[in-house]
Amino acid sequence: MSKRKRLDSNAPSDSLTDHERLIYDVIRSKQDMGIWTRDMKRELKVNLPDNIVTKSIKSLQNKSLIKEVVNIHNKGKKHLMAVEFEPSKEISGGAWYSEGSLDTEFIKVVKSQCLKQIIKVKVATLEGISDSIKRSGAFKVDLTKQQTEEIVRALVLDNQIMEVKSNGSGEFTNIPVGKVCYKNVSKGGGGGEPKTGSLASVPCGVCPQINICTPDGVISPKTCVYYTKWEAFRLWEKQPRKRWWTKRK
Amino acid sequence: MLTEYGTKHAVHVITNHFGDLVAKVCECLLRKGPLTRQNIKRYTELSDEQVKNALLVLIQQNCVQAFTTQQPDGFADGPKANTQYVVLFDNILHRVRFAKFLTILSQEFDQQCVELVQGLLEHGRLTLKQMFDRAKSSEKEGNLVDLDSVRETLVKLVTAHYVERCPASEPLLMPISEEEGPARKKGSKSAKEQEQQSFTYVDVFCNYVLIRDQSARAIFFFCLSYNNRANYLMKISRAKIGEPETIEQQVVEAALPMEAMRFSVVTNVESDVGEKEKNSNNVTPGEKRKHDVFDLDECGVADEQSVVYRANFEEFIRRLRHKGCIDHVRAHLDDGAANVLSAMLQATSSVEKKVKTKNSVPLSLSSIYEEVIKSEAGRNMTLDHVRASLVQLGELSFVDASSDSYSIDFEKIIEIAQNEEVESVVSKRYGRDAYRIFRLLSKSGRLLETDKISDTTFVEKKDAPKILYKLWKDGYLLMEKLVVTGARQSQFLLWKVNRQILWKHVLDEMFHAALNLSLRVAYELDREKELLNLPADKRTGPLQDRYNRIRKVRILLESSQMKLDDAILLFHDF
Repeated sequence: MSKRKRLDSNAPSDSLTDHERLIYDVIRSKQDMGIWTRDMKRELKVNLPDNIVTKSIKSLQNKSLIKEVVNIHNKGKKHLMAVEFEPSKEISGGAWYSEGSLDTEFIKVVKSQCLKQIIKVKVATLEGISDSIKRSGAFKVDLTKQQTEEIVRALVLDNQIMEVKSNGSGEFTNIPVGKVCYKNVSKGGGGGEPKTGSLASVPCGVCPQINICTPDGVISPKTCVYYTKWEAFRLWEKQPRKRWWTKRK
Repeated sequence: MLTEYGTKHAVHVITNHFGDLVAKVCECLLRKGPLTRQNIKRYTELSDEQVKNALLVLIQQNCVQAFTTQQPDGFADGPKANTQYVVLFDNILHRVRFAKFLTILSQEFDQQCVELVQGLLEHGRLTLKQMFDRAKSSEKEGNLVDLDSVRETLVKLVTAHYVERCPASEPLLMPISEEEGPARKKGSKSAKEQEQQSFTYVDVFCNYVLIRDQSARAIFFFCLSYNNRANYLMKISRAKIGEPETIEQQVVEAALPMEAMRFSVVTNVESDVGEKEKNSNNVTPGEKRKHDVFDLDECGVADEQSVVYRANFEEFIRRLRHKGCIDHVRAHLDDGAANVLSAMLQATSSVEKKVKTKNSVPLSLSSIYEEVIKSEAGRNMTLDHVRASLVQLGELSFVDASSDSYSIDFEKIIEIAQNEEVESVVSKRYGRDAYRIFRLLSKSGRLLETDKISDTTFVEKKDAPKILYKLWKDGYLLMEKLVVTGARQSQFLLWKVNRQILWKHVLDEMFHAALNLSLRVAYELDREKELLNLPADKRTGPLQDRYNRIRKVRILLESSQMKLDDAILLFHDF
C-alpha cells in the first residue's frame, strides 16, 4: 500500500523551473503507478525537446522529488514515480518481489517452513500453519494469512502437499467436518519430484524435436543422437562400479 | 482413438508380424475405414488373390472383421447385401501385449493352460481338434496328452473367460435410426434369416446342455431374442442421447455371440449320456431318444472340428486394468491399501460387464474384510487396519464411501494416473516452473490470464509467457486472446488445458515413441547382424564386449517398449 509522506512548506518543489514543474506534475499525478518516460512525454501538454526532458528529470531526481522504480513487467523501461509514493503491487510485483525480481530465496524459506509445520502436525489447516509461523518468529516481517495461503497453494501445485477435507474422525478429530486441510503427500509424490512416467522415461518422451522426427527423415530414430546418449548412459548406469574402499586398498 | 502415429504404429506391428503385403491391406483399411474387397483391391492395386489372402490372415488373427450391410438397390432385385471389412485397431495393439497376457495367465493357471492360450495367440483362432494336435506335437516324454485333458483345459479357460468362441464371421449391421425399430426389420428376408440362424444356434446349444423338452427350448429362445431386442433398444437409446459409437464398435458388438454361447465349450457328453441311459428307469427307451444321442455324438465330433476359439482380449485387458489400479494405489498409499483394493476387485470383478467400468459394485466392510483375509498378503490385516485403509482410499477419492458400503472409483484412479503421466512429461521436457503452471491450469480447468498464472505459481513475470508459449506451441495448452478496448486498448492472453484434445495429442506422442523404439531395436539389431550370427565360440575379446552391449541394448529397448505400452493401455484401453 502506498503511504503519503507529510510535506513541509520548504519543500524543494517550490523552487522548480516551469519545465520541471510540468514534468513533476505529470509524474505525481500517476501516484503509486508511476509512469514510463516515453508515456510521460506523450502526456505533456507542450512539446518539449528530449534534452530538456532528460535534464529536468535529472534535476528532479537530484532534488529528491522523483525516483526511478523497477517495473516487473519490463525491467528495461525507465519508470518514474514521485518520492512520496511506494510502487503499487502491479509495478513492484507485491510482497514476493524484491527490487523488481521474484525473491526466490525468501519464497523457498517460507515454503520449507510451511512444509515443516504440515509434516509436524500431519494434518494442518491454513490458520494453523499461519499461526505457527507467526509464533515461531522465523521471519522479520509478519506474513498475512493471504500470503501463507499463496505459499500453501504453491506447495499443492508442487505436489508436495495435498488438499483434503476433514471428516472429523481419526487424524481430523480436532478439525470441523468439511474444513479444508493440508497433508504431506506420501511416497507417491516423491517429495515434490514428480514420478517419472513411462513416456518421460524414453528419449522420445522428453525430446524437443519429436514433432519433426519421422522414420526416414533427417531426424529419425536411426540417426537420433539422444538415443545413442541415452543407451550409453543407461548401460553405464547398470554397470557394477568399484567401491571407494576397493580403490584405497 | 485413431491418431496419425497410432495408424503408423499399427501398420508397423503388422509389417513386423505378417510382412508388407498384409500390412498394405491393413493400412488401407486403417486409413479409409470399412471397405469392400473390390475397393481394397482398387486402393491397394493388389490382385484379387493377394487381397483375399491378406484378408484371410487378418481375419484369422482377429485383426479384421467382416460384416454385411444392406444397400437399397434401384433394380428389381430388392436390397443387396454388401460384405465389407473393418480393421480392429485395438486387436492390432494387443499383439505387442501377448507376453503380458501370458504372464497374467501363468499366475492363475498351470503350464498346460498357458501353452493352450499361447497357441491361440500365435495362430489367432483354433478348433479343439487343432488345439489337441498342437498339444500332441509338443508332447514331452512321459507326459502324454489326450483329447479329454485338452478339452478340460479349454473348459477351465472358457469358464474364466480367458478364451471365447469366435464371433460371427459376417454379422449383419443394421442401420440405427429412430424410425427403424426392430419390428420393421422383422419382415425383411435377412432378419428372417438371422432368426433362423438363431434357432439353429439355440438348437445346437440345447443339445449341449441337454435341454430336450421343446417348451423349454422355446422359452430359452424367447429369452435370447428378448435379450437381442433389449440390446437393440439400448443401441437406439444410446444413439438418441448422442453417445457416438464407431463402426468398429458396432460391428464387434453385432458379431459377438450371446453370452451363453460365447463362453460355452463342446463337452464330451457321450459317456455321460450313455451312463444316464443305462441308469435311468423312468425313461422309456425309444426310437426318438436313440436318435437324439446319435445326433449329439455326431454334433460333438463335428463341432470339435468346426467351432473355433480365440483368446478373449477383453478379459486380459480387464485384468491389466485392475493390476494398473492396484499398482497405482500401492505407489500412492501402502501395501495395506493395495491389498484392500485387490480384495474389492476380486469380489466384484465377476459382475463387471465391460472393460471401462466406472464404479465397482458397492461392498460392505464385512464382505471386504472377508475377501481380504482370503489372500495370503491380507491374512495379517485386522478389521481396523482394513477400515483405516478404506479411509485412506476415500481421502484420495479412489473409493466412494456411502452408508457403510464402499465402491471403487475406477475413473478417478485412472484419471489421476493419466494426469501424473502427462505432468511427468511436462516436468521433464519443460522444467519445474512449467510443471507448476500446467498443474494449475489442469486443476482449474478454465481459462486463466498470464499474470494470474505467474502470481499463483511464483514464476517470474517475464518467464511465464515464454513457458506458456512453448507449451501452447507443442499442443499442451489452448490460448485465447482477449482484447479490451477502453481509453487504451490492451490485450490479455488467456490459457487453458483441454483434456480431451491434450489426451489425444499425448496418446499420439506415445504411439510415435512406441514406433520409434521399435525402429530403434530393428536398427540396432541390423547394425550388429553379422556379430549376432557368429557362433558363440568365435565371439572373443572385443567381439564379446560388443555382443554383450547389443544384448543389453536390446533388453533396455524392449523393456522400455513394455513400459511404454503400459502408458498406452492407460490412455487408450482403460
